[in-house]
Amino acid sequence: MAVSEQPPGPGLTGWLSDKLFNNYIWRSIFRSGYPNTPRNQMLVVATNVFLHLHPTRLHKTHVRITHTYCLGGITFFFFLVLTVTGVMLMFYYVPAADRAFQDVAALETNIRFGMLMRNLHRWMAHGMVISVFLHMMRVFYTGSYKPPREFNWLVGVILLTLTLALSFTGYLLPWDQLSIWAVTVGMNMAGTVPVMGEQSRFILLGGFEVGDAALIRFYTLHVIGLPILAAVFMAVHFWRIRRDGGLARPL
Amino acid sequence: MAVDAPAVPRTAAAIRPRRERDQELLVWPDLVFIEFIAATVFLLMFVILSTVLDAPLLNQANLDITPNPSKAAWYLVALQELLLHMHPALGGVIAPTFALGIIGAFPYIDRSNDGQGTWFGTSNAIKITLFAAAFASIFTVALILYDQGRHVNVVTSVAQEFDKDWQWPGKLSMFQNVRAIQTGWEWSIPVPESAQLGPGEHDGELNWPDDLSHVPMPFNGTSGPDWMRWGPPTFLPAWMQAMYWYDLNMNTPAFVVELFIPVAIMVLLPVIMILMLRRLGWVNNMRDGSIAIFTGMMSVYFILTIIGAGFRGAGQDLVLPWDVPHID
Ligand code: HEM
Repeated sequence: MAVSEQPPGPGLTGWLSDKLFNNYIWRSIFRSGYPNTPRNQMLVVATNVFLHLHPTRLHKTHVRITHTYCLGGITFFFFLVLTVTGVMLMFYYVPAADRAFQDVAALETNIRFGMLMRNLHRWMAHGMVISVFLHMMRVFYTGSYKPPREFNWLVGVILLTLTLALSFTGYLLPWDQLSIWAVTVGMNMAGTVPVMGEQSRFILLGGFEVGDAALIRFYTLHVIGLPILAAVFMAVHFWRIRRDGGLARPL
Repeated sequence: MAVDAPAVPRTAAAIRPRRERDQELLVWPDLVFIEFIAATVFLLMFVILSTVLDAPLLNQANLDITPNPSKAAWYLVALQELLLHMHPALGGVIAPTFALGIIGAFPYIDRSNDGQGTWFGTSNAIKITLFAAAFASIFTVALILYDQGRHVNVVTSVAQEFDKDWQWPGKLSMFQNVRAIQTGWEWSIPVPESAQLGPGEHDGELNWPDDLSHVPMPFNGTSGPDWMRWGPPTFLPAWMQAMYWYDLNMNTPAFVVELFIPVAIMVLLPVIMILMLRRLGWVNNMRDGSIAIFTGMMSVYFILTIIGAGFRGAGQDLVLPWDVPHID
């Protein structure tokens, strides 16, 4: 694709970056050269699978921090880090009522950086719930749900529910007094729904009280079911932002 | 209808000039740089937080030992707080589901394009936001204090300064809290004996709450004239039987306390707020109204969370934050 348009700069740095970015291997990976010309800067965004969530250009209001406070982006970043730390925790955690608590306790005593991973996972989960609320409020108060973004607001409401569900299911996993009673309180609420309540409570818990069956169900939802759903809806969310013409701004 | 609500209104897109290149920046480096900084800052912040503050781990789960108070996760504490004041199905599930539905409906209620992408896009938006936040917070706190009977304590202690034997007057017993309408209030009106149905005393008086606590529902199969009495619908599949109100009797006083009054409050207060804002001349369109309702809902949620998390002690009693017992 793009050949180097920029002659190598003067001096050592110029020579070094020429050697680094204008060689066969680099080009096989990134196609465009180092993004130091407008053309390459657009190419790098358009041809990279991760960056191409973005448009290649954006209106200048949208890089003003006070327009979005980056809140959606931060929520997404939390989601990514939670995935990484969550996978680390999965290496040590067995979702069984007679083991789970010991496994979590062992993170502190037996596993190097175990507590750091657990703390990061825990605090970021709280952070994500807060940031998704704040993101919703910023979208609301900037009137960014207005046409044609109605549907993306709905996708957002689904993401809010999924975020809460992820946090709620994760709450049970340490299997301590805090988790089991928080979930018991929560599930008793679900149990009071007319007509469907008792059934849905039974299905979620796999029984009448929070026990082994509930733990494995919550675990499965927490580590695979809900994250996949959330990832799918995030993909739709981001796709729609671009389809709807980028972020909202004054007409 | 399709004309009213185009999914992607062509007009909205067409108003905008095709492209204003001079107003545009390149994503690389301008946006990618900001994203990188934000990610780094937040990662650092959380790593630092995680080294100084450990996630809680209490004793191993044990369903035989109930901590007092046992609380839901903090973002559900608001619902738990509602449970104290109304029927659990209403507070825990129906009201929040409605709230989510209303939040989802905003773009379909407020369809105009004006003011999009601008903070507080209408001329009164900030005033409305402050008003709605204050209105919702004050009423939420006041209602919780009322339902806890705090006004009774305050009035009694003031009155006892003057008269040591002062008691909350029996005539006002139904105003001690909402539940007192059901449990602390009795009245009766004379009715012809023949009109008295149901299991209560047929003494020519209609008594609150006893005579009204077991009112047969129409077509429940066990009350009313003979032709309305029939056996349980065993011919239906079990799940349908479960839905049929066979032998269902309404506890009217409980219905009033747990469902009617809470629903009335949750519907009327927002309506009153909107009417006041209209009277003030601040709310002039759907966007203004939406701002008021959204702000009100967020404020109620916020206040309920604060009270539920910080002010509910053993037995879910209203206490000061430092009196909330520490659970381990
Ligand atoms: C897991 C949850 C979510 C993630 C990761 C997420 C991510 C994002 C991102 C990255 C943006 C770009 C602008 C920005 O950063 O503010 C955005 C925009 C948007 N989000 Fe979300 N979001 C989430 C939840 C929500 C919720 C709960 C709502 C509303 C109920 C919502 C509604 C919107 C709308 C309407 C836009 C377009 C805003 C505009 O055009 O200015 N999102 N979202």
